[in-house]
Amino acid sequence: MEATLKSLSQDADSDMECSDNDCLDEYDYYNTADDNDIEQIDPSKTDPEYFEYECLTEEQVERLLNETVEILSNNLQITPSLAKVLLHSHGWAVTIIATKYRGNPDHLLISSKVKPSTTPLPVSGCSRYLTCPVCVTPQIIEKFFSLSCLHLFCKDCWTMHFEVQISQGISTAISCMARDCEVLAPEDFVLKHLSRSNMREKYQQYTFQDYVKSHPELRFCPGPNCQVVIRSREPKAKRSICCQCKTIFCFKCGMDYHAPTDCHIIKKWLTKCADDSETANYISAHTKDCPNCHICIEKNGGCNHMQCYNCKYDFCWMCLGDWKAHGSEYYECSRYKENPNIAHESVHVQAREALKKYLHYYERWENHSKSLKLEAHTLEKLKSRINQKVMSGLGTWIDWQYLFTAAGLLAKCRYTLQYTYPYAYYMEVGPRKELFEYQQAQLEAEIENLSWKIERAETTDRGDLENQMDIAEKRRTTLLKDFLDV
Amino acid sequence: MANIAAQRIKREFKEVIKSEEVAKCAIKVELVNDNYTELKGEIAGPPDTPYEGGNFILEIKVPETYPFNPPKVRFITKIWHPNISSVTGAICLDILKDQWAAAMTLRTVLLSLQALLSAAEPDDPQDAVVAKQFKENAEMFHLTACHWTNIYAGGPSVNKDFDDKIKKLVEMGVDEHEARVALSSYNWDMERATEQLFS
Ligand SMILES: [Zn+2]
Ligand SMILES: [Zn+2]
Ligand SMILES: [Zn+2]
Ligand SMILES: [Zn+2]
Ligand SMILES: [Zn+2]
Ligand SMILES: [Zn+2]
Repeated sequence: MEATLKSLSQDADSDMECSDNDCLDEYDYYNTADDNDIEQIDPSKTDPEYFEYECLTEEQVERLLNETVEILSNNLQITPSLAKVLLHSHGWAVTIIATKYRGNPDHLLISSKVKPSTTPLPVSGCSRYLTCPVCVTPQIIEKFFSLSCLHLFCKDCWTMHFEVQISQGISTAISCMARDCEVLAPEDFVLKHLSRSNMREKYQQYTFQDYVKSHPELRFCPGPNCQVVIRSREPKAKRSICCQCKTIFCFKCGMDYHAPTDCHIIKKWLTKCADDSETANYISAHTKDCPNCHICIEKNGGCNHMQCYNCKYDFCWMCLGDWKAHGSEYYECSRYKENPNIAHESVHVQAREALKKYLHYYERWENHSKSLKLEAHTLEKLKSRINQKVMSGLGTWIDWQYLFTAAGLLAKCRYTLQYTYPYAYYMEVGPRKELFEYQQAQLEAEIENLSWKIERAETTDRGDLENQMDIAEKRRTTLLKDFLDV
Repeated sequence: MANIAAQRIKREFKEVIKSEEVAKCAIKVELVNDNYTELKGEIAGPPDTPYEGGNFILEIKVPETYPFNPPKVRFITKIWHPNISSVTGAICLDILKDQWAAAMTLRTVLLSLQALLSAAEPDDPQDAVVAKQFKENAEMFHLTACHWTNIYAGGPSVNKDFDDKIKKLVEMGVDEHEARVALSSYNWDMERATEQLFS
């Protein structure tokens, strides 16, 4: 676990350390290896994405939960089953539960649905037989069981009730069968009535899922068929990487990592994109015409700096503007220029303007997402290019390794850039947005430079490229330091 | 059909027939087939509501897993109510969903539905159009619900104005029920209803 933890704390300054020695072959921006010998800088202060967490197996989680259950059940002298009900309904906060219990135990037990809100009346009479209200069958009294509410039902009906609920995916929320009775069936009571082993297994699997979901420090890895649970004592919208399947996700909401945008905004944005997919479809074409000679050009790499194969004109894929203008301080391709008089325009014009604004951000968001996918393809091409070079005696694989490192960094930078668009879309116009868009434009420009250089690297001389990598990553961290607010 | 389900339904059927509500003609159940999987329910519109004087027929389907799962109930009689779909008769009521308890019975269900007719829950709507009218135009809702009760459930209050408007649309070739739905949805505004029907 220690090694995993360390790998997360990537240190901005470790990049510098590596640039002039031979640790390059294991030099990876996402998983900077062993940083023991690097100067002791607190990464939680320097790295805006620093996040401490650990990956746990099912057994480890079970142990963790059981420890908590044991503490509470010893503390309050209650059964582990009841302790679980209380912990589940109180986000596993042992001290809060213990305090509430000492203050007013009845209130706690009633509000947690362990005890009924009204004092139950025990069954009167001394008959040896009772009629079960569910199956309407008279049976001897020994066959009847109840929860703390004393609502009696026969053993077979309890079993049926639990099986039906479990088959619908319900476990910790199974309650009594009486009308208007909210008392929950604790684990030991349910298990006592389940005999079929597949039902017991399912029940235990569902309760486990419920417990993890109600635990503020735990998250299931969202990766397909992955059983790993991530634990962090600081449940924030930070980047978590599953040690098993390598899925990268936001710890808070479980969706794809989305810095600098926050969980609420990214959800809003993704819903909007899904709703407006029709409108946006027409722009997702892979081909555009060269703005100079009008020949049809297909985008086959991630880089937005395009060069027409026909007339050699350099232009920007996004805005079709001259690329030379993009290199300057006034790079404004990423910025949307709002109409300052929009409030005075007609509803119709406003609606068109709103669509135009959305499409501006959507187009860039979509474009970087596509570029990321195309860059995976570029990497394949890179491999075969290096292979050719090595075969013809131009350096060794190790000499060319830096290109892969550069491609990795490029992907990471582009990923952040992609998620700056929803952020900007929902930002209010003002100096903060201006600063954001300035930094976004700077990052964008450096990313395109890097992308251009990687696609065309012809020598094993890596000085220039490493310089470019350094600049791009600095721009990325600067933007996150200023705007990642979690 | 599972043994418990049939056993329960037989018992409940007797329970309803013997109940005091049946004596007062407020609720009723009939068997639709011999194996107790489907029943026909009937409830009287409660007094002092737009449903008063109407008789509402319900379709009741009993699942295999009854009574551990609730019966599936919907209105056969068309009704104008925020928690009941004016199109399908589907009902939004907690005890027919997650608040069901195995110890509840058909009688509980019928009485709860009757109570729902007396007290709608517009914040948990099944029919958004009706719920909106209920909240924003209480009088219009009342008139519309009375009219539907009159037409579909045999209620006593005839609304001449509404009947005339529907007649006009029918003369234009519109189906009578469709005309009623359009007019009801647009607060009986002829122009907007026509626009919607012919667009
Ligand atoms: Zn029973
Ligand atoms: Zn109970
Ligand atoms: Zn995983
Ligand atoms: Zn998130
Ligand atoms: Zn050209
Ligand atoms: Zn551009």
